[in-house]
Amino acid sequence: MPLPTKLQEIVDDFAGMSREEKVESLIGYSETLPPLPDWLKDERAKMEPVPECMTPVFLFGEKQPDGGLIFHFDIPPQSPTVRGLAAILASGLNGCTPEEVLTVPADFFMPMNLQEAISQQRINGFIGVLAHMKQAAVKSMEGK
Amino acid sequence: MSYAHPEYLVDTEWVARHLDDPKVRIVESDEDPLLYPIGHIPGAVQVDWFSTLQHPLRRDFVTKEQFEEVCSKLGINNDTTIVFYGDKSNWFACYALWLFQYYGHKNVRIMNGGRALWEQEKRPLVKEIPSYARTTYRAKEADRSIRAFRDDVFKQVEAKKPLVDVRSPKEYSGELLHMPNYPQEGATRGGHIPGAVSIPWSQAVNEADSTFKTTKELRALYEGKDIKPDGEIIAYCRIGERSSLTWFVLKYLLGYDKVKNYDGSWTEWGNLVDAPIEK
Repeated sequence: MPLPTKLQEIVDDFAGMSREEKVESLIGYSETLPPLPDWLKDERAKMEPVPECMTPVFLFGEKQPDGGLIFHFDIPPQSPTVRGLAAILASGLNGCTPEEVLTVPADFFMPMNLQEAISQQRINGFIGVLAHMKQAAVKSMEGK
Repeated sequence: MSYAHPEYLVDTEWVARHLDDPKVRIVESDEDPLLYPIGHIPGAVQVDWFSTLQHPLRRDFVTKEQFEEVCSKLGINNDTTIVFYGDKSNWFACYALWLFQYYGHKNVRIMNGGRALWEQEKRPLVKEIPSYARTTYRAKEADRSIRAFRDDVFKQVEAKKPLVDVRSPKEYSGELLHMPNYPQEGATRGGHIPGAVSIPWSQAVNEADSTFKTTKELRALYEGKDIKPDGEIIAYCRIGERSSLTWFVLKYLLGYDKVKNYDGSWTEWGNLVDAPIEK
């Protein structure tokens, strides 16, 4: 099954970048991650924690009237790598239906060759964040 | 009461006054490698625990020759004073310091409070990556007295000598490995090395500003758990980064002579066939 179009574009972009461009682009993504909306600021209990990350990461999938999901993240600025990875996932998957989110394979990022920029260990942040985005997608389908 | 070896610690003010000192090299070592390119202490170079210090093939550190190349490229001489700092209360700064000690660079310091305190004090951070004239660095043979391998740990367990597990209480109890979707860097078994006492690394650090606690507080912390100054101690965590911090505290702040860091830590022990585990 193909990746959602926007996510596929990001994967292709990264695949063609030099190491330096990857670092710059990741920083760029980390800077574009929007702040948590006000209505979620005191709603930690509603949000999905990502305990696999060494950084405190919380996310929430907001269901839109058209059935698509918008993901919101709470990740401290001291963790630009996790912020960058989350921003890539948000850019690539915002607007997708929960079903589409669930089709994304856990190793979708392999062709991005990010290990040359940030090492394999940190890329695994993708696995944790994506897994919990899927859980948020499942919750949204249950109407929670 | 001061630390046993206070010369291994400098404060942010000292660093601010030595930014242009040619005898000093400031080195940033973080858990998150993007922090350095976003902004670092003026003149600081980056040493990444993974891409700079790990062997590209084996699960080990760079060789002595590769380490010499790392230092030569960063313009470090054998007599350079190296000040390490980083994120996460200096975990990886301590890890880098430990590895520099392993290859015989004695003139090392930690910037107390690390990156977090430097930022809190609103001191300058820059993006410019400095370049220094290449040197010809000569490393010493690896100092095995500060590094424990798994065989050392087996002997330690048999001899009932002290082991300090510095991971979080849930990692110590083995509970954390039961999480779903746990990524690699994990282990197939949870728990701790038999006989290890749990003293999470974070108890050695003040939460407010990431600086180290006082001698009195640290003594009470470790001696209270029977980790005594004359003991032969091995500290471990998951990959050896948090235990580097504990190693630094025990060795230089409290003056314990015989402390080793087991960098294989839980990612090795929790996967080792036939290794004893306690829960």
